[in-house]
Amino acid sequence: MNKSLHVLIMYILVHLGFIFFMYPGDIISSSEEGHWIPILIGCIVHLLVIWTYMKGMSYFPDRNIIQIYSEAGRIASVVFLGPVALYSVMVSIITIRAYSEVISIVFLSNTPLWSMMFFMLLISTYVASKGGEAIFRTGILIAVLFLPVVVFIFFSSFQNVDWRYVFPMSTKDFSFFAKRSFYESFFAFAGGFLFLGFVQPLFKYKSKHVLICAVFFIPFFLFSVYVPLLTFGQATASTFHFPYIVTMDSVHLNWLMFDRLTMFFLLSLVTFILLFVGLVLWMTVSISKRFIPIFKSYQLAALVIVIYSVCLIIPEWEIVQNLFWWNSILRFYVLIAVPISILIFGLRSKGKGARERA
Amino acid sequence: MLKTITRMLIIPCMAGMLSGCWDNKDINHRSLPITMGVSMVGETYKVILLIPEPVERTTKVRIVYGIGKTITEAVDHISRDMESDIDMLHMKVVVFDKPSAEKGMTDSISGFMRARDISPKAVVVICDEDIDHFFKRTKQTMEPSGTTLYNYFEKNAGWSPEVALTRIWQVYRSIYSFTRDVAIPVVKSGNDTMMQHLGSAIIKNGRMVGQISSEETLLFNAFNGESAHGKIEVMQHSSVLIVSNTMSHESKVVNNQMYMTSRINLNVSILETSSHVTNDSIKKELDSTLTDRCNALLAKIQSSEADILGLGQFFRNKIPRAELKNWRTEYLPRLKMDFSVRTVIQNEGNLKTPRRK
Repeated sequence: MNKSLHVLIMYILVHLGFIFFMYPGDIISSSEEGHWIPILIGCIVHLLVIWTYMKGMSYFPDRNIIQIYSEAGRIASVVFLGPVALYSVMVSIITIRAYSEVISIVFLSNTPLWSMMFFMLLISTYVASKGGEAIFRTGILIAVLFLPVVVFIFFSSFQNVDWRYVFPMSTKDFSFFAKRSFYESFFAFAGGFLFLGFVQPLFKYKSKHVLICAVFFIPFFLFSVYVPLLTFGQATASTFHFPYIVTMDSVHLNWLMFDRLTMFFLLSLVTFILLFVGLVLWMTVSISKRFIPIFKSYQLAALVIVIYSVCLIIPEWEIVQNLFWWNSILRFYVLIAVPISILIFGLRSKGKGARERA
Repeated sequence: MLKTITRMLIIPCMAGMLSGCWDNKDINHRSLPITMGVSMVGETYKVILLIPEPVERTTKVRIVYGIGKTITEAVDHISRDMESDIDMLHMKVVVFDKPSAEKGMTDSISGFMRARDISPKAVVVICDEDIDHFFKRTKQTMEPSGTTLYNYFEKNAGWSPEVALTRIWQVYRSIYSFTRDVAIPVVKSGNDTMMQHLGSAIIKNGRMVGQISSEETLLFNAFNGESAHGKIEVMQHSSVLIVSNTMSHESKVVNNQMYMTSRINLNVSILETSSHVTNDSIKKELDSTLTDRCNALLAKIQSSEADILGLGQFFRNKIPRAELKNWRTEYLPRLKMDFSVRTVIQNEGNLKTPRRK
């Protein structure tokens, strides 16, 4: 059954959840002018990666990547699935920790972090425990409820833009390749694509639809960076941790009865993130269940306890950012190795199939 | 059975969670100031808060003072001495007194942006008199409704186009931006009105460096697209109502010399005129008056090296970014600007105006 919609919605929710927080800050601090260049480089890499990944997956119409790697042998599973699982755990830790920090900065300044992280994880765990199908169905529900709010607020954030801040457009300065924050910005691209390999055979989707959706999503990447830039200018925007959130705060709508739009925006995005963490937990547990055949029903709980403990150990924002940076190695490994290996396995299996038929 | 019991136990826990409250203070234990006054005495800050308090059928306004090395400390002192907790959530207007504005507001403004307890949308005002006196007078005129000071700056209430409307985030932007400064309204307490508008302060990098008049502020607003709608332009023979205005700008750089041509397109309707004035002469007079004002404003901007009109924005694509850093000091004073005004008289009211004789 073709259920592209579920997959597309999930893709949109996950990426929307990512791009409005760390991503603008990373891009703005990576380059002084011509920010569209690092953004577009990121987007092109992203498109190439998901194309390769889905191309590879298309040779195995009824398998997910766990089955593909398992069939390819023990070594392949260890070399590829191991890092994927580790990366997923890291992503959950960083996301939970970072977003509870954001929530506490923006509105719950009295609430202790441990309780926020606890409840975030609790909800995500519950979602994850219900399995993949439930996650994708929840995605539709959340999209219906919150996507209109997010889109409305996204457009209202254009209120204070001064388009002349877009200049200077061109740049000869490519020093962002040497900047740490440029590589960190790939967080937004690398976090959300892996799930495309897990949804088969639960949901079948057309890879063309996902690609079209990804192309239409590029403006969101661009504007999440450019809205703060056009409102404040590079010199000011680079002083913010979360430029987009500050820009939201400066939007003044007389006719709206709510004073702080940011709250609605943030809460909607947090639901997306909760769903995303649920998805990642589910992916990790699917991997671990395949390779650790004992205590299958307790693995999720154990994993969550580990994640929660690590989140508690992290005392300050600095360490979150360092984790973010150390995770880059895994991030690029996952971003490059997984799609390419899947494509190679796919081509090989196709060759084998052709030979057998001949 | 066990499952049902667990569920029954979990559901009440959920109810506790759903309220989302943690260390929450009830609304009747909070004070919600709407105006804050900041004045610097030597190295210490003096903070004045205006807190409307509902009493039977009316609102009383309460003024409280605090002194501290930082604004937060001063507010903390007030909070400590008061019976309720101070919550800055509804802060709408922040008033600086003139000496502290001239000294620089960078630290205070950055503090507001950092801590987020004051909304970056709060309006910034400078008062040109003793801040204690200003607040005392304001208190008198504010009762019983308690919000008039804010209404003065609210676009759908008492705001008029001669008043600059600058918010905390805009002042913050001016601290760092290469090509953008702001103007902040300068007021003092009026005799029988709430306030007396004295013009606007030119703010450069968070510091007051000069002052412009109300008429010049109108131009400043027009430049920023806060349209001059509804403004009455008084001339020798007549007054007109500016219905709408648009501006078009062209910028060019020739031999390292910046030129800019700005055309102001006005749609006006005539309010008052003496019998012998023709439409043509009104147009001509508008042109000369506005051009003069623009030139005067430009001269002030250039001498204070603060780009409140954002003229540098028009050269962002012509001057490389490394050079743009010096826009205020290097380029702005040398800028040559050419203003022209094109007026369309949209309607003449009920009476006919004489045509060309």
